[in-house]
Amino acid sequence: MKKISLFLILLFLEFSTVADDVSNLIVENCTSCHNLNNYQNKNIPSLQNLTKEEFIKVMEKYKDGDGNGVMARISKVLTNQDILKISEIIYNE
Amino acid sequence: MNSKINRRKFLSNLASGLTFFTLSNLFLLKRLNAKSKPKVLIIGSGIGGLTCLSYLNKISDAIDIIVIDKNKSIRTGPLSNLVLGGILSEEKITFTIDPKKYRNVKFVYDEVKYIDSDKKFVKVSGDVSVNFDFIILSPGIGYKENIIEGYNPNNTELLPHCWDGDSNLKKFKKQLNDLDRNSKIIISSPDYPYRCPPAPYERASLIANYLKKKKNNSKILIFDSKNSFTKQENFFKEWNLYYNNIIEWIPRKKGGRIIKYDHQNKIIKNEQGNKVKADLIHFIPDQKASNIFFDSGVLDKKNDWCEINPTTFELKGFDDIFVLGDSINAWDMPKSAFSANSQAKVLAINLINKILGRKFVDPVFLNTCYSFSKENRAFSITAWYRLNTSKDRIVSLGSSQSSINSSHIDRNQEASHAFGWFNTMVNDLFL
Ligand SMILES: Cc1cc2nc3c(=O)[nH]c(=O)nc-3n(C[C@H](O)[C@H](O)[C@H](O)COP(=O)(O)OP(=O)(O)OC[C@H]3O[C@@H](n4cnc5c(N)ncnc54)[C@H](O)[C@@H]3O)c2cc1C
Repeated sequence: MKKISLFLILLFLEFSTVADDVSNLIVENCTSCHNLNNYQNKNIPSLQNLTKEEFIKVMEKYKDGDGNGVMARISKVLTNQDILKISEIIYNE
Repeated sequence: MNSKINRRKFLSNLASGLTFFTLSNLFLLKRLNAKSKPKVLIIGSGIGGLTCLSYLNKISDAIDIIVIDKNKSIRTGPLSNLVLGGILSEEKITFTIDPKKYRNVKFVYDEVKYIDSDKKFVKVSGDVSVNFDFIILSPGIGYKENIIEGYNPNNTELLPHCWDGDSNLKKFKKQLNDLDRNSKIIISSPDYPYRCPPAPYERASLIANYLKKKKNNSKILIFDSKNSFTKQENFFKEWNLYYNNIIEWIPRKKGGRIIKYDHQNKIIKNEQGNKVKADLIHFIPDQKASNIFFDSGVLDKKNDWCEINPTTFELKGFDDIFVLGDSINAWDMPKSAFSANSQAKVLAINLINKILGRKFVDPVFLNTCYSFSKENRAFSITAWYRLNTSKDRIVSLGSSQSSINSSHIDRNQEASHAFGWFNTMVNDLFL
């Protein structure tokens, strides 16, 4: 069951992130844990400490790896194109 | 695709054109006597209400924003079980809003008694009324009465449920503290749907953790109105490791649903007619939408939860009344602070779009719920959500939880992430 649903999920999100708005809302949800301001959170890294390229690498590693932490699980439904788009949103600021 | 999109631009685009001038013209079209800025009233400065505020605050010079909450200091649900378990002090989860953060916003500390949906005003105490053009309600939950004979969820003096910021954590802590060794505690866990599905089991874990240290040989019986619960396998694993002879879980089919309570003798009776006596009986009540909806006649007594439009969060059948958080039926989304926070972002953004007559953003939501089993161990469940193809309900893209074989390092890291999420959220909203 897991395999099938994951496949559907991938199709679903890939299809839907064609709209910029959706990618923007994904980023708004990232900010629930990773603040994008100057506030320093010692338990969760700020995305401002990474470059865009580093961010893409880290996210792809989470997505393709077999880790079980929250980020590994959250990133599974994102496509590489999604990751690229959200990186543009975060790092073009 | 526009590669120049960025977050600041996304947020400022939302607000662009949102000047006092354009707004008052828009409003003149609707209401001929519009003389002032449109007024957005937010009821509840808990997680959902404050997240809406933090987004609407970006356009606070173009609209009037008033926030009403009956409490000036807000205690969060998240981490409150750690307070009960003696791991955190109550002040770590108690917040008052820094007014400097929301300079143009008016805060009123009073209880809203009634919403007049036709004439667009609310009544607070002393018969004072506050009018609105748009109202956002995030008032948390209400409690069902007459579910267990002899138990009244409003009697929080004697039986504190500690399921909202009003409830008395200190009182419940004292009840735990007053127990002798070898005590028997019953926790009554509610039927679905209710706020924070894993929280009764997190509470049981952290009370067990306390009993293990301070009240030798005590035992917790969880009488459950359900036959299964979220993250069950992870909880069972942790209970086996740390609270083996302390926590016993009784599902509904094995007698878990309590139907009667004898306060005098501290005895409960279950659906099967069996009676059990305990030293402390703790009820987590069955839940429904906040009373304000029923009292105002905007929610029929035969419904338990508010039905909303999942793109705008407008209450079904009413214009300009928006509801989010624990009082709504959000379909696949659980009632959690993380969910309320995520819903609020969509609501606020689409409210601005509505005011300006623009296209709505297609919603995306995220939820992650952490549960602690000990001070330094936690695990989580997480999912993304979208709308179904007919755009009339929120559907999960598949939830996933921590592995039951997680190492101590993994559990420890999840505990650290839980604190990190909490700190980011309260810093964004309150401080
Ligand atoms: C023990 C426990 C543990 C939890 N742990 C987690 C967790 O780890 N993670 C997580 O995501 N969620 C957790 N939650 C759930 C979380 O607390 C709620 O889902 C969240 O607070 C919902 O936000 P809300 O805005 O709907 O309601 P609330 O945050 O409860 O805000 C409602 C506000 O409205 C005010 N109010 C209500 N009625 C009126 C009125 N008539 N007039 C004026 N003001 C009014 C109240 O004073 C309150 O401030 C937990 C809950 C509990 C009980």
